[in-house]
Amino acid sequence: GCASLSVDSPIVLLGSAVSASCTVRAERCGGLQRAQIHIAWLLDSEPLAGRQQHGPAGTELSNLTLPHFNRSQARLWCLLQWNGTRQRVAMAELRAGYPPAKPSNLSCMLNLSDYGLTCQWARGADSLPTSVALKCATSRAQREAGAALTGCSPRDGRHHCTVPRRLLQLYRHMEIWVSARNALGTAESERLRIDPMDVAKLEPPALQSIEPLPGQPDCVSVGWRAARSSAHMELQCELRYRSPEEPAWALVPNISEAAQPALRLCGFLCGTRYRFQLRCRRPSPGAYWSEWSPGKEVTTQEKAPAAR
Amino acid sequence: PLPDDVSGDHDFQLFLRKSLEFGRKIKGDVAALQDVVCETFQLCQEEELWLVRQHLDVPAAPLERCQRPGFEADACLEQLHGGLRVLAHSLGAVRELLPAHADLVERLQLDAANLSSNIQQQMEELGLPLVTFPPEGPGVLPAVASRFHQQVGSFFLLRNFQRFLETALRALRHLAR
Repeated sequence: GCASLSVDSPIVLLGSAVSASCTVRAERCGGLQRAQIHIAWLLDSEPLAGRQQHGPAGTELSNLTLPHFNRSQARLWCLLQWNGTRQRVAMAELRAGYPPAKPSNLSCMLNLSDYGLTCQWARGADSLPTSVALKCATSRAQREAGAALTGCSPRDGRHHCTVPRRLLQLYRHMEIWVSARNALGTAESERLRIDPMDVAKLEPPALQSIEPLPGQPDCVSVGWRAARSSAHMELQCELRYRSPEEPAWALVPNISEAAQPALRLCGFLCGTRYRFQLRCRRPSPGAYWSEWSPGKEVTTQEKAPAAR
Repeated sequence: PLPDDVSGDHDFQLFLRKSLEFGRKIKGDVAALQDVVCETFQLCQEEELWLVRQHLDVPAAPLERCQRPGFEADACLEQLHGGLRVLAHSLGAVRELLPAHADLVERLQLDAANLSSNIQQQMEELGLPLVTFPPEGPGVLPAVASRFHQQVGSFFLLRNFQRFLETALRALRHLAR
């Protein structure tokens, strides 16, 4: 074409220098003679002055330096005068910003219906187009070889994505982190070292029956079952109960899966109606509680009248 | 052989506990798939298939080093590792027979392959790298003629897998003691 515009770097750190050069080939510019060429510059709509000189092979050259380019985005135009009119003959898009902010607060949760691992994180504002990926390293060999794979990439600016089951290694520690990359650099989050099974979000257990215990008016037997999807797992569960008169729940913690199918509890008021709920989680740091099971109610036995 | 003090090692014990849980999970999924085979192909009772069985060459994974008298911890783990790879690979044939349940079969294959690589990584960390042989064959039950024979083949493949897991869980529990 008539002219070409080159920029040393179209994306720079905010406030740093940008150098540009516009080369004009007179013979391709509608009959313009070399002596008539006057190269002008516009940054968006702001006129700027370049240094014009003869270039090689009969070209005319203008160089421009922007010492402190601090607009997030701008268009740099190269113009000529032709037939009394101003002609835009070349353009370059400039951008300025910062390397990506370090992603933070990475956390993950395993969904037991499809065994996808959904991770979410917090990200600073992006000044430049940034590509983000969730990285996974399963084995030590992978970690040491720097051969992490991309587990997933969030769509259009979101801060979460889901690693499919086939890229996970269950029951073994994996390293997971977020990598954000733009033209000015890469930032990585802290590395999360987790076994996906330890962050599984369990489905609620089922309270199957709550029976008063004959001859023990202050005791009940609580029949319960873990959800089918966690039937094979080690669990840490807790039971809560209260009677309508009491505002606060009482809690029975640290119930393990071995306490199935029934749990015996005492210390209840006689002849009182109680409501019970149960929930479970994995017995590991960072585990997520399931939702509470649907409630179940029972009325404890009246105390037998004392013999006179 | 495994280092003497490994049985008390926290990481090894954690590995065994996780492997036990993973094994229970896989066993549950194999049972679910057996129910599917029973429901889909009306192949439910093993004793009804003994005759046809003689014409089939269904992959089975040896586990004699996980049972008395030949029990040897590292050799047992090596057999578990190898057997899980063979069985995971062979499930490809079942997947072709049960396209409507491909998710369940794929999950089972992933889990079996995962447990196998967990064992391999653990052994490597103990300084006992395992020799890995690529599973033979394309994963199709060899030398089967008809669709019926393929279905019977898948029945016995799952039964073999179930028994493999029962032995594996016993061995892991023994190691975890």
